[in-house]
Amino acid sequence: MTSSKHFSVTVRVWRQAGPAEPGKMVSYRVKDISPDMSFLEMLDILNDELIKKGETPIAFESDCREGICGSCGLVVNGDVHGPDEHSTVCQLHMRRFRDGDVITVEPWRVKAFPVLKDLVVDRSALDRMIAAGGFISVNTGAAPEANSIPVEKDKAEEAMDAAACIGCGACVAACPNGAAMLFTGAKISQLALLPQGGPERSARALNMVAAMDKQGFGNCTNEYECEAVCPKEVKVANIARMNREFLLANLLSKK
Amino acid sequence: MNLTFIKRFITTSIGRKALMAVSGLALGGFMLVHLAENLLLFKGEAAYNAWVDLLLSNPVTPFLEVGLLALFIAHIITGVWVRVEDFINAPRGYEARKWQGGRTIGSATMLYTAAAILGYLAYHLLTFRFVDHSMGFYQMVTAAFRSPVFVTVYIAGAVALALHLSHGMQSAFQTLGVNHPKYTPLIKTGGLLVAVAMTGFALISLYYLLNIDLKAAEAGYQVVVIR
Repeated sequence: MTSSKHFSVTVRVWRQAGPAEPGKMVSYRVKDISPDMSFLEMLDILNDELIKKGETPIAFESDCREGICGSCGLVVNGDVHGPDEHSTVCQLHMRRFRDGDVITVEPWRVKAFPVLKDLVVDRSALDRMIAAGGFISVNTGAAPEANSIPVEKDKAEEAMDAAACIGCGACVAACPNGAAMLFTGAKISQLALLPQGGPERSARALNMVAAMDKQGFGNCTNEYECEAVCPKEVKVANIARMNREFLLANLLSKK
Repeated sequence: MNLTFIKRFITTSIGRKALMAVSGLALGGFMLVHLAENLLLFKGEAAYNAWVDLLLSNPVTPFLEVGLLALFIAHIITGVWVRVEDFINAPRGYEARKWQGGRTIGSATMLYTAAAILGYLAYHLLTFRFVDHSMGFYQMVTAAFRSPVFVTVYIAGAVALALHLSHGMQSAFQTLGVNHPKYTPLIKTGGLLVAVAMTGFALISLYYLLNIDLKAAEAGYQVVVIR
């Protein structure tokens, strides 16, 4: 069942030697591509060629290559995470392209995610928001009996849907304003929906929003481009929940 | 006295957006009331002027006017602030950029329709509010509605308003944290209906503009109606 229809494409890639260096788009011809290859495998092949020629390979991030780790993230022909809907770019396959195609590959161009090298950006702004409150504080020890804290089925499902966020940053890259509210909304929601997140709910909402505002993200204008590209289909209802959590915490908490 | 909560409404992204949403919803509500007032024109001169007299003789009215001005100012300041920050932080430099279907015409043009509405408001105030009212309000309004220039501005303004509200009404609820599988579809439909209702301002003025043509026809002029 292997396809013998190997083909060639031209990739136009953003090359940038370092954070302070100027970058530019560079074109490379990649030959003998199988339609069964993943997009990142195609970049691997291109990098092999570059190494053989003594050139610096293209830096890009990837880890699991099965769409669950959140490491990869490229803008392919203007599509965040590529043309497939609700998918990470590692799940994109070359059968989506035709012989002779010119493919534009760019990093997330977000102010809060500076480019480190080529297609790799620094997404530690997201980590700083988690550090500000995206956790629960509990004493360590033996794991408690799972059924000792009952959780409503629907709430558990909603929390799980929010927790599906892999922190890839696509929502920010796709947002017309560079806002990170889908990410922050998901992280606040996954804990706000569960009893374990209850005790620190107010402080979490206030602290995470304050941290978000410090990172240089834009403001949400409810354009919902984030929801349209999210590989994990995280819903904008999570942004509304964050707004609710924040506004109520601001009005009702003693802080 | 702990006033941090007031500070947070002004200094945080979500606080500012909440102020913009609340002032926007209140202004939308005002526009609906104002449209209802305009519909009184159809009840005739006496009914319309009686309402205006009632409004102007009420001692509370000047306070309501100041409140309305405050809503506009709050909405404009928070709106501009949000968009300036967005302009600074927006992703920039994509060689290719495709929108994925989240944006609507209304949402993508909020800033432009806002500017158009502000212009429309200025024109409206200069022609109706800060002028000599001695001819009577009904006469003033219907005379203005017979001017093609005036009606053109009104149509442009009403369309901008409708576009602005097509995104703004439902967006305000989301900003205030109201997103619910049962109510959000109703809110979205309701927001669109309010937006469509704003074309009423244009339709009322058009009604009077076309009336003059009918009267001209009665007077013996030939009127060509292009369908």
